[in-house]
This record gives sequence, C-alpha cells and structure tokens, in this order.
Amino acid sequence: MFNDMATLDFFLGLALGLSLYLWQQYYFRSQLKKIIKVFSASGDRNISLSPLSLIRRELYLLDQKRRELEQIEENWRIVVEQAPIGYLVVNGDNQLIWCNSEAQFLLKIDRWRFGELRLLLELVRSYELDQLIEKTRQTQKKQEKEWIFYFTKYASSVEKNPAATNSTASSRIVNSIEIKGYGFPLSNNQVGVFLVNLQPLVELSQSRDRAFSDLAHELKTPLTSISLVGENLLNRLQNPEYRWVEQMLKEVTRLSNLVQEWLDISRLQDDPTQVINYETLDLCELIVSVWGILEPIAKKKQVTLNHHPTVNSIIEGDKSRLMQVFLNLLDNALKHSPPNSTISVNVTVEQSETNHNKTQAIVDIIDSGSGFAESDLPYVFERLYRGDKSRTRSPDLNSNNIFSGSGLGLAIAKQIISSHKGSIQAQNHPKHHGAWVHLTLPCKRNSLKEN
Amino acid sequence: MSLSQKTIRLEKTNFERSLSKIQQDVLRMGTLVEQSFRMSHQCLFQRDIDAAKKIIYLEKRIDQYYRQIELDCATLMTLQAPVAQDLRFVSALMQLVRDLERIGDYAQDLTEMAVKLVKYPSHSCLSEVAMMSEQAQLMLATSLVALADLDAETGLSIKQLDDLVDDAYESLYEKLAYQKDVPGIVEPILILGLIIRHLERMADHATNIGQRVAYIVTGERK
Repeated sequence: MFNDMATLDFFLGLALGLSLYLWQQYYFRSQLKKIIKVFSASGDRNISLSPLSLIRRELYLLDQKRRELEQIEENWRIVVEQAPIGYLVVNGDNQLIWCNSEAQFLLKIDRWRFGELRLLLELVRSYELDQLIEKTRQTQKKQEKEWIFYFTKYASSVEKNPAATNSTASSRIVNSIEIKGYGFPLSNNQVGVFLVNLQPLVELSQSRDRAFSDLAHELKTPLTSISLVGENLLNRLQNPEYRWVEQMLKEVTRLSNLVQEWLDISRLQDDPTQVINYETLDLCELIVSVWGILEPIAKKKQVTLNHHPTVNSIIEGDKSRLMQVFLNLLDNALKHSPPNSTISVNVTVEQSETNHNKTQAIVDIIDSGSGFAESDLPYVFERLYRGDKSRTRSPDLNSNNIFSGSGLGLAIAKQIISSHKGSIQAQNHPKHHGAWVHLTLPCKRNSLKEN
Repeated sequence: MSLSQKTIRLEKTNFERSLSKIQQDVLRMGTLVEQSFRMSHQCLFQRDIDAAKKIIYLEKRIDQYYRQIELDCATLMTLQAPVAQDLRFVSALMQLVRDLERIGDYAQDLTEMAVKLVKYPSHSCLSEVAMMSEQAQLMLATSLVALADLDAETGLSIKQLDDLVDDAYESLYEKLAYQKDVPGIVEPILILGLIIRHLERMADHATNIGQRVAYIVTGERK
C-alpha cells in the first residue's frame, strides 16, 4: 500500500517534470522560430528543418554575407586608397579616422599610422580645413572651399642635426599647394572630405599668362616699326595702293593697341601698387567728364545720358585708369543702345556689407540695348572673350575709339576695379533687359560724415 | 603619446571632454598664429601688402581664442581641480597661449613695418633677414608639432634651433649698426633693426613653447 503510493508519487512527479520539460522545449523552439522570422532575409524559412538547423543555416549564411561585405569594404578601401584625389574622414570629435595616400601627400600627413585615432589639427595645421569640416557639420550640407595650404617644415627629434636641415632647405622651409576641398556629412556626425590638387592648374594658367605676355612683348617692337614704315609709305603712294596701306595701318594700330592692353592688364595683375597712382577724386564728376568725351558719338545716335550727380562720392583712385574703365563701359553701352534711347548711370553711397565702418560707392550703368546673351554672362570679364562666336569684327562705325572690340576692354575694367579693391558684375536688367553693369568702389574714409 | 591620446576613450568624463575642447582650441590658435607669421613673411619679403589687411582679421581671431582658452583653463582648474600631469598640462597651456599670442602680435607689427618699408629700395641684408624669418617659422612649426605629439625631446631641441636665430640676429645687427656712409635717411635701417629684434623675440617665444611642452611631459623645468 505504502509502496503503491510511492510509485504513484514518483510517476506523478515524473509526468510533471516531463511536461515542464516539453513545455520548455516547445517554448524554446517557438522563440527560435520567432528569431529566425525576424532576422532571416531568405524566404524559404518554412522548410521542414528543425529550428536549430534553421538557425545554424542562418548563421552560416550571415557569416558568409559578412565575409562578402568585408571583401567589398576592403575593395572600396583599396579603390579610395588608390584614388587620384585625396580623401579623409573625421569623427564627431574631429579625430582623423582614415585618409588615403593622396591626402597624406597633399596635406603632408606624415605622423599618422593606420588605426591611430588623433585630432586632425594635431596632424594638419590648416585652419581652412578645420573650418570646412566645422561648416559641413553645422549645416549638414555639402561644402566647397579653395585655399592655399602652406606647410612649414619642422625639425623632428629623429633628425638630430639642425645644421643639416638648415643648409638643405633654406628656401624650402615653407611650401605651398593650392587645394580645393569638398566636405560632406556622413552618419554618426562624421565628416568626409575630398581634396583636389589645383596646383598644376594654377601653374598652368600662370605659365599661359606669362607666355602670352612674353609674346606681346615680342610683338610690340616690330609692330611699332611696321606702323612707322607704313606711315612713311603712305605719303608717297596714290590710289589704289594708298587705300591698301591705309587699311593695313588701321589693322596694325588695332593690333598694337591689343598688345599694349595685354601688357597693361598683365602689369595690373602682377603688381597693382606699382601701376595705380592714388588721388582723391569725385566719382560723379569723373563720369560726367567721360561722357563729355563720348558725347559727339552719342549725339549722332541721339542717345542721352540719364545721370544726376547728387551724392558726395569722393573716392581714392587712379584718375586715368578709372576714366579708362568708364570710357569702356559707357562706350559699350552706347554701342549697344538703339537710337533715341537713354543710358542711365546711378551713383549711390552706402555702408559696406562686410565692414560697417567703411562706405562704398555703387555705380549702376544700365543701357536700353538687348543686353548680354545669357550664355555669355559668366565669361564677359575673361580676357579675349567675344560674345560673337564667329570672332568677326565688324569694321564699323566708331573705329575712332580706342576700345574697338579687342576683347580685353572688360577684362581690363575688371582688373582696374579689383586693383582698387572694388568689384564689378554684369547682368541683364530684369525689366527692360538692357545690359546692367554694377560696380562698387571703396569710398575715401569719412566721406559720409563730410557730407 | 600624443596630445589627444590622453583623452581618447569610449566614455569620457566631463573633465576629459572640457580638456579636449581646450586642446582643439589651442591647436586652432596655433594654426592661426602660424598663418599670421607666414603672412608677415610674405608681406615683408614678397611685398604682398594685402596681407597687412588680412592679418588684422587673423589677429582678432587669435585674441578671441586667447581669451577663451584662458577662461576655459581657469574654469577647469577651479571646478575640476586637476592633479599631477593634468594640472601641469592645464597650467602650461595657459602660459603657452600667452606665448602664441605674443608671436601673433609681433607678426602684426612686422606687417606694419613692411608697409613702411615698401617705399624704399630693398636692402642688401633683406635675404638674410628672410632666412632668419624662415628659421623662426621652422621653430614655431616644430614647437607646434612637439605640442601635438607631446614630445619632450623635440620640445627641448628647439633651444638648439634658437641659437641659429640668435647668431643671425647678432651678425645682422652688426651689419646694420656699423654701416658707414649710408646714403639717404635712416628709416629703412631703423625698421630693419626692429624687424630682426621682433624675429628674435618670436623665436624666443617658440623656444618657450617647446620648453613648456617638455614641462608638461616630464614635470621638470629646464
């Protein structure tokens, strides 16, 4: 009897234990199935394998995928490493995570090893790069910036001989390279930067300008002697030879003007301080006197000037150079104005946008012509740029003026204005579509107060 | 060890965060000072007068950083009471930014002198002065590298570089002072004398920076 009870108890206990075990098994399997359902990407998870095998299979697949991804990442790394442009990425604390070899070369990052995490500023002392990254992070937008990166040599403790570094590098202590950087935001507050080496381009355009100036120099003397010979010849000739030589002389004069202008512009670019002779002058008066020169041509075309000098626009500038600018601008306006129209010139004085202690004079010249062609607008201030693609010159009307379309007039104007620390822009007037030239020049200090 | 490695851990304490912000500001200030030194060089020897205007803006930024860093260091010291190397680090930084700021000031002075000097034909000593200026720039760069790397050895080695600048100063001084039969007025010579004096001071400040770095690392003053 007692034995029976014990047996019953035993079986009851066994049954309870078994059922608990089975329930737990079932629960575990359903948990596994849920996990597979959530994480597995493949659609065939309904196949009748045990959940454990399914998990094993899933893990295997994941591992394979991970390896593939690693491979791809490695490939990308190699691609970026080999890229001809520099690339670097910094984390939220401005620490350099990684950079490729071109970036190391451009920014002279020589104290960084792969895997090291160091402040970018410790490795590259470039304020501009730091600003680019900060700006990108703040705006979370793509940013571009061009700057000249200077790299000053330093004496490392590895190299124990300061005299040796001194003798080999007296002129090479400071090196410079022109760089364009493209910053873009990445996830996790990281910022990536592409770096393009602009140095070859800068050197190329410098050497182009230099070659052109050299050429202009070489042309100057023979052109002068040709025109002298031509002028002498002219007196001894009769028609039709007279006309031919006269035609030739005109072209020679045009060519030597072009050469002279090119030399002027190069000199202005090289060293404006040597060319510009500052004096105090009234901008409005200057414009009036320039119009006085053009008035005979304007009268023929019945074009009038709308200019009311009201403001006190005293500036510091080179009188003859500024006359050249306005002569050119007004002449252009005149050339493109239809008969019986007006050219308006507005002069205003206001506080400078960048520096509120300074004032600037603003001149707007608007004609009633057809304006600049939209496609020409970005290039009108480039040297030798012609709106007319055929490059023909109409041997036209006012060939007596000195800027008869050499293609340098606006380029010179721009160079002169920027030598005066001013700016010049061309656009079309939104209403009547005439050409609209907008230029600013810094005023002489206190000209507002005097007023 | 480098400057930032002290503070790189996954989780930072408040102290470490403030310290790393100060470090970045000091390095930024360093780059600005280096830039204004370079501009003063261009202004003096390449007659780039525009630099004289740009440098005023730089100088303002440098001053801002100087005040900010000094304030941050003082706050850190009072609120967090750092000890041992951290204390040395913060107190040395406070001194170090003063040196940097002085170099920036001198650079601005140099551009003002350069503007005055433009009127005169270039002096025969000018190329030697240019070499002296480059040497001083090299010292500044080295001191900034030493700071970034927290490299005591490099920091102390700047002292040897300073000897070269001192020698250049002596020889230039003699050349300028004992000239005979000088044509025209004395202003260009006077200015050149001041320039070499300034450059010599700048080099001294760079040396100081190097020694402060060594002090941070070793705790010994030399």
